[in-house]
Amino acid sequence: MSVFTTFFSQPRLVFSTAILLRLGLLLYGRWQDANGPVKYTDIDYFVFTDAARFVAQGRSPYDRATYRYTPLLAWLLLPTAWQTKGVPHHLWFDFGKALFATGDIVTGWLIMRILVRKQGMRSEQAMKYASLWLLNPMVANISTRGSSEGLLAVLVIGLLWAVLENRIALAGILLGLSVHFKIYPFIYAASIWWWLGSEDAGTTPSTDLLSRLKSFCTRDRVTLAAYSLTSFMVLNVAMYSFYGMPFIEHSYTYHFTRIDHRHNFSVYNTVLHLNSVHGDSSPFKIESFAFAPQVLLSLGALPSQLAKKDLPSTMLAQTFAFVTFNKVCTSQYFLWYMVFLPFYLPGSSMLRKPSLGITALALWVVGQAAWLQQAYGLEFLGHSTFVPGLWLASMLFFGINCWILGIIVQDIGVQPGSSASPEVSKQKKSR
Amino acid sequence: MKQRITYLLPEGHRVNASDILVQDDSLSFADASKAAEEWRLTLGLDELPEEIQVILADCHELHLRWTSPENRSLRSPLVAGVPSGLHAFYTPRAADQHARVCDLINQLLDGPPSRCHSVTESWTRPSVLSERFAASSSYQYYHYWPLRRQLGEVFLTKACAGEGPGLAECDRVLDELGQADYIDVDFDVISHAVTLTALWSSLDASKSPLLAQRVSRPIRKTRTNDRVEVGVLHPEEATEPEKLSLGGFLTVIGDNNHPGMTLFSFPARHHPLPPSEQVTFKATFEQPIGLHPDLKINIPQQNLIPPKEQCGLHAYWTLPSGLFIDRYQLSDPLFLASNNLLKLHSLSGEQDLEAPDWVIKRWGSAALLELAAPPAMQSDAAVDDASEWTVTIPTHLRYLAADSNGTDSTSHTALKVPWPILFWACEAEEGLKMATNPFDRVNLGYDGLFGPKTMFYHISPAGGVERTVEEIKVPVLDVEKAEWVPMGTLLAVAVGFSWVCWKLIRGADGRVKEKDGKKAQ
Repeated sequence: MSVFTTFFSQPRLVFSTAILLRLGLLLYGRWQDANGPVKYTDIDYFVFTDAARFVAQGRSPYDRATYRYTPLLAWLLLPTAWQTKGVPHHLWFDFGKALFATGDIVTGWLIMRILVRKQGMRSEQAMKYASLWLLNPMVANISTRGSSEGLLAVLVIGLLWAVLENRIALAGILLGLSVHFKIYPFIYAASIWWWLGSEDAGTTPSTDLLSRLKSFCTRDRVTLAAYSLTSFMVLNVAMYSFYGMPFIEHSYTYHFTRIDHRHNFSVYNTVLHLNSVHGDSSPFKIESFAFAPQVLLSLGALPSQLAKKDLPSTMLAQTFAFVTFNKVCTSQYFLWYMVFLPFYLPGSSMLRKPSLGITALALWVVGQAAWLQQAYGLEFLGHSTFVPGLWLASMLFFGINCWILGIIVQDIGVQPGSSASPEVSKQKKSR
Repeated sequence: MKQRITYLLPEGHRVNASDILVQDDSLSFADASKAAEEWRLTLGLDELPEEIQVILADCHELHLRWTSPENRSLRSPLVAGVPSGLHAFYTPRAADQHARVCDLINQLLDGPPSRCHSVTESWTRPSVLSERFAASSSYQYYHYWPLRRQLGEVFLTKACAGEGPGLAECDRVLDELGQADYIDVDFDVISHAVTLTALWSSLDASKSPLLAQRVSRPIRKTRTNDRVEVGVLHPEEATEPEKLSLGGFLTVIGDNNHPGMTLFSFPARHHPLPPSEQVTFKATFEQPIGLHPDLKINIPQQNLIPPKEQCGLHAYWTLPSGLFIDRYQLSDPLFLASNNLLKLHSLSGEQDLEAPDWVIKRWGSAALLELAAPPAMQSDAAVDDASEWTVTIPTHLRYLAADSNGTDSTSHTALKVPWPILFWACEAEEGLKMATNPFDRVNLGYDGLFGPKTMFYHISPAGGVERTVEEIKVPVLDVEKAEWVPMGTLLAVAVGFSWVCWKLIRGADGRVKEKDGKKAQ
């Protein structure tokens, strides 16, 4: 016990461990890639680096099939295409993974700062919760394999930090940038919007339309909207001017028109597969309203009811709802909400009642295991497990996720007020 | 109408002039059952059905290559293999004139739902690896289909019909064409004629009862203006390694009243392996197949040595749209080496890595892979006879739509995949005029991917194998079992959504109660 306490009371030790863990994984990945036909490096990383090489050659990153990201990513990874005399190429090749891993570390640092400064947690305690991210093997594994989720996590936590620090302009820019990077962070616009609302807007309803509008469009809200929309549009216009329609198609339109027929965790997967096979003749079009529960929860009900009480936990709930009700869901998406766990867990009923927490974690793991077992039968043994196996497994996993989301939502709901940043709300009151 | 019939006797046989009986309008060869027969029919455009003439009017060139899935060993000089199924190579006369060639393909493939809708949508463009080789066509199409009478019926109806038809016993000929090992149909705008070439690698009646008739029936010339030429040939020792030699007798029915002796040599593109290096291969998908089938090619290592210096071992493979090769996966040297592959030289056609089969419009893809050969063995090292050289070609399946395509179950569908063909490609000496070969065969899909000075030494499929086509049982979403899926999903989403909403409301209530409690205090 005391060893753990000492460990977590020294942030240097924790961060060094987190860095060493990633360095070790990077080196191991280098070794496995060089010696084994099965690669440690994620398939997507080859897509990114191929695209970066195309950019280095003055071509479009979209010349690489399945590159479905912003050109910014390929630009960021330009060093992976560098050939310097005296420097082994694989050092440059691993640059992107190192960048993503650095993103992890910065995210962990931001998590700790928010916990200490905004949630008034003792440093040692904060370090423990931040380690849920920093020392999480799944997180370190995903970023060192070359998946860009780590970069997104730092953007999203940076956004949260900026909002809590009341740097609204910066928050707006980060919001625009992260939506440009990967569409889903647009849901945070809703929670931040509600959180920025004036305290008395709800309590003293005014019948005067103008004053209602005035209290609705506070200065902070306008700043957020202006900066986020501007940064988002500036990036889009710039990228469009560089790469034209392929940018729009691969970064945006693709994500709205994709069929998503390949098996994944999503509850909608079997229905989408079924409808895709039937083409237009299908009488039941679930995809046309599948976005409704997802948007109602993550963009409507959750932020409007919960954001003012606890912004970071609300962002967790939003993301959890978004991923749970999404039309596609792979294990990388779990990282999107895992990054918010350190903010939610300290006051949660899952920690107060360890049996509840352990049950939730166990069910979450069992749900995935059941699905993976069915998927293995399909993918590697050629068994037709689409129905009922995979379908039931995805329903089970969906059910488990909804149950967990219910707990999270109720936990935030029973919180008395804005516990996240007492001083900020004080500042706002005095304004 | 011109006919050229060639009986080719196997190695070690010599033609006996007394076996050939020439009469005024017929010829018969007594030893035909030991021979292979190549039948080449040249038809003027006016001897073709109207609808074919209309289709050919759009063509600059059109080459059809149909190969039987049944495994029979091909014999020199006709050793050039093609994966089994129907291949088509087409160059339109004008860029926008290719509406109707799909009508022809669909007529030939009158069975499975064909993917041929229009040339621009369904055909693929072979890659151009060798600029100098002008012979490759601009569009390619392929479909696995065990053709029977269709090809003959489509092209020969007019030649068979009417008074004094050009072909004797036409109905029988159509049946016999269904038994051929391969049939080529060639048209180009310069020759303005259609050539149909069929090969029966063995006329042994015990193997195919239908062919007994063909062996015993004399070759007849039915119309005075037609030309019917018959060659009865056996292989001779070649004078140079690039060349093949044949000896025997040639007869033009009606012109010659006795067979004329002949001995000739010609450079050849396609060669069998020398008898001392005879080697065959087997291809099979590794079990369990799953969604990422690995094709294993097994070759006995003992004789797998290049026939010349500077030869590369290659595989040419046409993959139906349901199966694909990931070119990115095959670009990693370590991964290639672990599968005994050297390089993916060419991959043309459908390469989408994600799309399900039901949205794919093109027929599939064609791949040319260079395979690693076993390292040269020391002469004194004892070679284990049984040791096999294994090459793996990793592929991936698309999601297929459920249809009862050859399987009884609704949970799997059958995908027929031809074996690739295997050959050594070797650099030939300069100045060989391959086109002087009377049995030259071009436009096979892979020859255009090499330079014109390339010789192919073919490795045949192993003798014990009946068919050079594999069947994969692909798991599909069983629509019959999925009846409850839409309603069930809807219900689950509704319940899940309501649960979260209820918790949200309860949380809000809890706060209210808490506040009330505080106020009361």
